[in-house]
Amino acid sequence: MKSVFLSLFFLSLVTHAQKLEYATLTIPDSLKQNANVVVRLNEVLVNIPSQKEMVVKTKTVTTVLNELGLSYLDLSENHDKNRKITKIEAVVYDAFGKELKSFKRKDFRDVSVADGVSIFNDNRALYLDYTPTVYPFTMVFETEVSTSNTAFLQPWSPMEGYLVSVQKSNMTITYKPELKLKVKEINFSGQATIEKTETASSISYAAKNVVARKREELSPGFAKVFPIVYFALENFSLENVEGTATNWAEFGKWYYQSLLADTEEIPVETQAKIKQLVGDEKNPITIAKLIYKYVQEKTRYVSVQVGIGGWKPMLAKEVDKLGYGDCKALTNYTRALLKTVGVDSYYTVVYAGRDDTKDLQEDFASVQGNHVILTLPTDKGFVWLECTSQVQPFGFQGDFTDDRNVLLIKPDGGSIVKTKTFTEIDNKRILKGNYSISAEGHLKGQVTIVSNGLQYDAHFNKIRMSKEDQIKVYKEEFSNINNLSIKKINLSDNSQAVEFGEELALEAEGYAQNTGGKLMFALNAFDQSNYVPKKHKSREFPFQVLRGYTEESEVEIVLPEGYIVEAKPDGIQLDTEFGSYKIEFKVLTSNKILCARKLVIKKGQYDKTKYESYRKFRETLAKNDNSKIIITKA
Amino acid sequence: MKKVVVIVLLFTNAIFAQKRELGKVTVEELKEKECPADSSAAAAVLFNIGEVRFEFLEGKGFVMKTRVRTKIKIYKKEAYELANKSVRYYIGNNVKERLNFKDAATYNLVDGKVEKSKLKSDGEFDEKMNKFWARKKIALPNVKEGSIIEYEYTLESEGLGVMEDWTFQMGIPVLYSQFKTIVPEYYVYKPLMRGFLIPKFETTSSNKTVSSTSKERSGGNITTTSFSNNQFSYNEITSVYTLENIPALKDESFVNNIKNYTASIEHELTSLHFPGEPVKNLSTTWENVVKTIYDSDNFGPELNKTGYFDEDINAVLKGLNSNEEKIAAIFNFVKSRMNWNEFFGYSCNDGVRKAYLDKVGNVAEINLMLTAMFRYAGFEANPIVLSSRGNGISMFPSRNAFDYVISGIELNGKIALFDATSKNALPNILPIRDLNWFGRLIRKDGTSVQVDLMPSSNSREVINVMASIDKEGKVSGKLRDQYFDYNAFSYRERNSKVNNESLVERIEKANSGMEVSDFEVQNQNDLSKPIIENYSFNTDNVVEIIGDKMYVSPLLFLTMDENPFKQEKREYPVDFIFPHQNKYNISLTLPEGYEVETLPQPTAVSMPENMANFKYNLSNNGNQLQIIYSLDINSAIMGSEDYEILKNFFKELINKHSEKVVIKKV
Repeated sequence: MKSVFLSLFFLSLVTHAQKLEYATLTIPDSLKQNANVVVRLNEVLVNIPSQKEMVVKTKTVTTVLNELGLSYLDLSENHDKNRKITKIEAVVYDAFGKELKSFKRKDFRDVSVADGVSIFNDNRALYLDYTPTVYPFTMVFETEVSTSNTAFLQPWSPMEGYLVSVQKSNMTITYKPELKLKVKEINFSGQATIEKTETASSISYAAKNVVARKREELSPGFAKVFPIVYFALENFSLENVEGTATNWAEFGKWYYQSLLADTEEIPVETQAKIKQLVGDEKNPITIAKLIYKYVQEKTRYVSVQVGIGGWKPMLAKEVDKLGYGDCKALTNYTRALLKTVGVDSYYTVVYAGRDDTKDLQEDFASVQGNHVILTLPTDKGFVWLECTSQVQPFGFQGDFTDDRNVLLIKPDGGSIVKTKTFTEIDNKRILKGNYSISAEGHLKGQVTIVSNGLQYDAHFNKIRMSKEDQIKVYKEEFSNINNLSIKKINLSDNSQAVEFGEELALEAEGYAQNTGGKLMFALNAFDQSNYVPKKHKSREFPFQVLRGYTEESEVEIVLPEGYIVEAKPDGIQLDTEFGSYKIEFKVLTSNKILCARKLVIKKGQYDKTKYESYRKFRETLAKNDNSKIIITKA
Repeated sequence: MKKVVVIVLLFTNAIFAQKRELGKVTVEELKEKECPADSSAAAAVLFNIGEVRFEFLEGKGFVMKTRVRTKIKIYKKEAYELANKSVRYYIGNNVKERLNFKDAATYNLVDGKVEKSKLKSDGEFDEKMNKFWARKKIALPNVKEGSIIEYEYTLESEGLGVMEDWTFQMGIPVLYSQFKTIVPEYYVYKPLMRGFLIPKFETTSSNKTVSSTSKERSGGNITTTSFSNNQFSYNEITSVYTLENIPALKDESFVNNIKNYTASIEHELTSLHFPGEPVKNLSTTWENVVKTIYDSDNFGPELNKTGYFDEDINAVLKGLNSNEEKIAAIFNFVKSRMNWNEFFGYSCNDGVRKAYLDKVGNVAEINLMLTAMFRYAGFEANPIVLSSRGNGISMFPSRNAFDYVISGIELNGKIALFDATSKNALPNILPIRDLNWFGRLIRKDGTSVQVDLMPSSNSREVINVMASIDKEGKVSGKLRDQYFDYNAFSYRERNSKVNNESLVERIEKANSGMEVSDFEVQNQNDLSKPIIENYSFNTDNVVEIIGDKMYVSPLLFLTMDENPFKQEKREYPVDFIFPHQNKYNISLTLPEGYEVETLPQPTAVSMPENMANFKYNLSNNGNQLQIIYSLDINSAIMGSEDYEILKNFFKELINKHSEKVVIKKV
């Protein structure tokens, strides 16, 4: 009896639970190199039988090679009232392809996708909290989702991220031809062999054996380097509102009419208040300044992601009543207020983010973007208003939305324009100061710093900090000076001119090191850059310097009474395609030295072969910034 | 002099004793531009009043009602997020909680008059977080600089007698904070205080009569007992805790858990005194607390389950004779078989059997099964309950005082500690989360003793360097870095599965101008040995050529050039986590044709009671330079009263580090 049972069990193991194709041994070595994860299969089947119907079936087979790969594993699926999960299940296998455990829908937890920023959104997710018992393991995850939203089709890329290999990936979209599918391929050169098949009502992409890449410092963003295909329907539906997107002009018109036109009403009382505020003023810029200030004082940013999937702004009159809203609500409210006094402005869709400048795809009209700002057309070009900030100066968008393609939504259509590029001349930081060194090596000095452009953006928040936090920030900024104490802080924010002023009095015990009766210290005490990019022995990706800037300083140094210079650094001048650097140490009188420094870093995209010379440039300047003088008793 | 102060205080109190009620805001309050007590505060809590009372409800028994009223003055935009308030409530199976906001409003000064904007239903959101918890959130309307906001919420709970903790102190100043409990004599709660500020305490007792027509009495559940008599009366004990003018909490580095220092009060239900029933003790002393834990279904019985592992353990122990071997084998077996699901707690969730089968478990499942296996092999093994660092340090006995359990073996008069939730743990090397002063070891009969969890010896890191300087000031050589005990544990936790290439990049990144080659790590997986890193390096960043001399940093890139302690004053103790020693032995060969001009003086500096010390010794023999350096942090926790000394100790250390060896041409 026992033997029968055993052999039956064994049989079932072979036929049922063992999936040799999931065994880790069969993975080619080339895919294991640099990889924490190997995606064995990523299969997405999208079916769009009508404008209001879409079914997405996804099957991913993921081998997680080690603990570092675990965070890549995403066992979740979003749902909301228009998006239903009809199937969700997972099975995990060990390295030999033996089934370890399977999970059904009931094993997945239903949670709210509160992102921490939103005070409320109605998005939820089913997710599986899986603790691996062994590495490597292979997870087969299958979902099926049906939704009435056809405004977003997920893009496809043969790469799944850094340190992830892909053995096989494919995506097929089958659609009703009348809906007209648009496709945009980018970065399709070389990195992977991509197969494409197309019929009148379907399209599919596939790739095989894509090896893992490593992240490299200063690399452009994923979407700028990796191949990626975007899809969109010309005739789509967004939360049961039908739309068209043949081109940006038409898409903009639809956007305005469906999502904005009926949100503009401003209560009569507020209209009167605004008219009174504006008075006889005729200049649209001056009027916009008044109204921007009014909004900044009246409202605050609270993210409330409800209504049309978070795409339609809250009504302007609601914002007027509540005094808060998200980016869409506050932007639209400002626009509606401007409209009441006859000033035109445009609701503007953008991909916001400081670390990368992501464009809206210029020739590919579709629902894109993650943020909204307001654009004011003037004689001198566009003025950009960030309506979610209560402190940003008028017309100063900072590095959150600068230098990228955005979509202007006008009543008569949409258009793509580029926001302001802050150049190395705009982003200027000028420091002037002096300090003296005592015979004990103590430093005592003053500096004044004036910042403009994005340098303003980086510093102007200091004025709103507590004294304690200001001191903390300065100790970080001047971390090259030990035992620093800040004796005086005087800050001035000129938001008209977008100029930030800092005046500091500083002291530091033992700044100059006593070496056998001699004093040794870095002359450039206040303006040091120690940033040196990481060394990449062999580099694969190009690199970018996202924004340029200029730093200039002049500092006068008084040596202690009775000391003379024994040795002093020579200074250096470097002119490169990345920018320039010059530092000089001029002896003014027997006990006075002037340290003059200028660093200009240019914005740029560079070939990978130039990375090492950029790194060397930063290294040399960092070293010269810290070059030391030796003084000795006369 | 003291008398005068007291009188003045009383006097001001009498004049300004204000009614702290919602709905009343003065023009003066709205006009105020900054917090008088703290001009940099972005907002201040004008009052925060909490009240917990028990109401007898027909058919339900006692229901706990928590009512909180809060009024906040907003000075700056940075505090706007305080106008979004979120409170969670329980929606799990057995216990029903109801949460309601009311009287939420914003006050502004408009044309010299007080304008009130009430929160309407469109500013209130209810969100189901998961199966057990939901939360209500409000976003108050029309908040501006200068606004005063207020709200009240009530939380009704029919379930367990769990009282929410009351936090007096916050990130902004709190002018007045009061917590009041009104509790029937049947329930005995123990208040547990934390922080440096002691609230004023008052208590009164009064008689209360309620009527009931209920005939049922449900025994098991703690708070839903109802009574058969039509009318009954009982004593109600009112306790009031008040703190005024509470400064904002400070944010500091090297802090264990800020919760330990925040003025707050916790209540623990310690016993039930129902008429006609014996007193039911839940927890009062450490012994009682531990006994209660031990007796609970998810602890003692789970610990005593056997049979599910016997065969496996027999195989593991086969052929082993010495105690050390057996202990190590069992510990390694559990560590390798079991995978921690990152859940804390001293209670099992799925139970040890299922956890063993699934190879996944929470802290209790893994370490109780470990203890059971040790016992099975004949050892005097017992569970040790403790409070993890995230849970804070527990000063007073309560069940909440613990959130974790490990295993201890008493052998040769010593207790060895084991925690199998980390693959890198060793006997007496516990995960950092466990290193929180004391735990309590529970013996089979339910009695318990305190156990010190802190490591008694310094964990060492020893670095040996052999290097030479060339004529361009470039330094190249070989380095050997050995990590022992907790240093090795931390290294493994940090770097397990990080490939060598990334480790090299990390070293190069941390030391500008340095190139690393021939990098290798030994004993990554052999936990019984120290981690050893070996590599070759060259760097052009540790020698400066100025004029015709070279200025050499004798500790090379191991030089510490920034004082980690920058703050002028310190509020909380400094926490180094575990005592440790760094030791460097460096041999440097000078470039040909150079000799030493000056050498830094040898030094030895010690903090009082030898809490920390460093020793630094340089010697020179021809073109050879020998540097021996050590830093010992003997006391892992230093009080804020020692901060000044500690800061100066590091100042001296950094000064010494930065001194150069000057070499010149012969």
